[in-house]
Amino acid sequence: MRNMIDINRTPIWIISFALLAVLLDPARSYGQGEEVTSYINRYKQNEVSTGYYEEYEMRPANERPFVKNFHRIARKSFPYSSTAASIRNRSLLADSHRGIKFYNNRRCEECHIKETKDIHTTRANLTCRQCHGPEPIASIDHYYSPLNPIRRHAYVCAKCHQGAGASFAGYVIHEPPAGSSTAKADFPALYYSYWFMMALLAGTLAFFIPHTILTGVREMFKRKKG
Amino acid sequence: MMQTLRIKRFNILDRSFHFFLILTFLTQTATGFSRLFFPTVWGKNLTAVFGGYDTSILIHKWVGILMIFGFIFHTFYLLTRIDFHNLWASLFGPDSLIPTIRDAKHLWQRILWFFGIGSRPEIGRWAYWEKFDYWAVYWGMPLLAITGVMLMYPVIASRYVPGWTLNIAVLLHRAEAILAVSYIFIVHFFVGHLRPSSFPMNEAMFAGSIPMEELEEEKPVWFKQLKAEGKFETVKVNPPSLLYKIIYFIFGYAALGVGVYLLINGIINSRYISLH
Repeated sequence: MRNMIDINRTPIWIISFALLAVLLDPARSYGQGEEVTSYINRYKQNEVSTGYYEEYEMRPANERPFVKNFHRIARKSFPYSSTAASIRNRSLLADSHRGIKFYNNRRCEECHIKETKDIHTTRANLTCRQCHGPEPIASIDHYYSPLNPIRRHAYVCAKCHQGAGASFAGYVIHEPPAGSSTAKADFPALYYSYWFMMALLAGTLAFFIPHTILTGVREMFKRKKG
Repeated sequence: MMQTLRIKRFNILDRSFHFFLILTFLTQTATGFSRLFFPTVWGKNLTAVFGGYDTSILIHKWVGILMIFGFIFHTFYLLTRIDFHNLWASLFGPDSLIPTIRDAKHLWQRILWFFGIGSRPEIGRWAYWEKFDYWAVYWGMPLLAITGVMLMYPVIASRYVPGWTLNIAVLLHRAEAILAVSYIFIVHFFVGHLRPSSFPMNEAMFAGSIPMEELEEEKPVWFKQLKAEGKFETVKVNPPSLLYKIIYFIFGYAALGVGVYLLINGIINSRYISLH
């Protein structure tokens, strides 16, 4: 026979076919498909997605390690009015606007101007109450607030973003202006990515625009050959 | 007959990549700008061209996926260009796109030449600004692709990365897009069309070839290299037909017009938008 099987290569073929057979074997491949993560890991995922640990509610771990709270109050500022004195720290109240004068006659954006500039408000046309809830609007760190990080993803985010988890809720809705000193203090990753990209943009254009213009000008004065 | 002697610079695949990139890049710019500038009247009118705010993002996503596949295909093509038996010479040789110390020298010589000091640098197959063009696209596309896919599937992305990275992704996607758009529509268009040596249009990327005199003038080192290697006869090609020339002139100027239109309106409306 001319086409004899090369005896040295035979084991490779046997191993390959055996491997293929194992992989294509329905029973075994199904077994691989149904392989699940460990009980502990699954329970952690349950915790993260529901915010429940056994029957107790709990804060998701590592909520936003590199992002600070934006609703902190400037403690050093002097309160010029009795109202200002009473709104120093309202992030834990059941009614966050308690005691504010003429509250019923005012609109959200009269005080919260910066909070109306984000994508959810300007693009998706969401109103404040669609996330922050009806009156009385609870402070976001109040225990029963729908925006409390314990349940924010499930009670608020998931209304539109189906399947939102605690990590997803870590998206900073009311982000500070990316290049500002507020961002430097509270959201340094945003601040430094902004200035990195700005430097790249300004640097590229500041180099290449004069470079191309000078090329054009210089080529006009080029001596013709011959 | 010396006038008709033309030297091949780009093969049909290179030119197809460039053509593909023109179409997808302009589509992405128009749909992306229509969303970015949505608060302005111009942005609203631009979204109307693509069927509204939601449809324009749909087009943007699908064309983005197409670009990702194009990028992957191009990377495979790039790997076939490397001679792995002769890796060092292939990566840092005269035909390579990798920036070397020669390019820094050329840049310095060219800056001197701008002010009338010294002569023009003897440029080889790829000038340093052409290398910059290439690698600017090559690093910009993965950045836009990764942030774009993150924003396309934010809920899934947030399972693997913390949610606040989506803030960064929005910022990077917009900033890199603006960088790419302003570079292409200002610098690349100037180099390709307005520069006296390429006015009214540098045809190399469409015709695939340039006249031999132009090659000797623009890229003297490559010209000598081709002669020395005896490859000169193999890269001689016929000039493009008149019909093809008419088509690519119309196409090139249409692309230029769209780009300049988007750039100028973008600059006019830039004060009404922010990067984040």
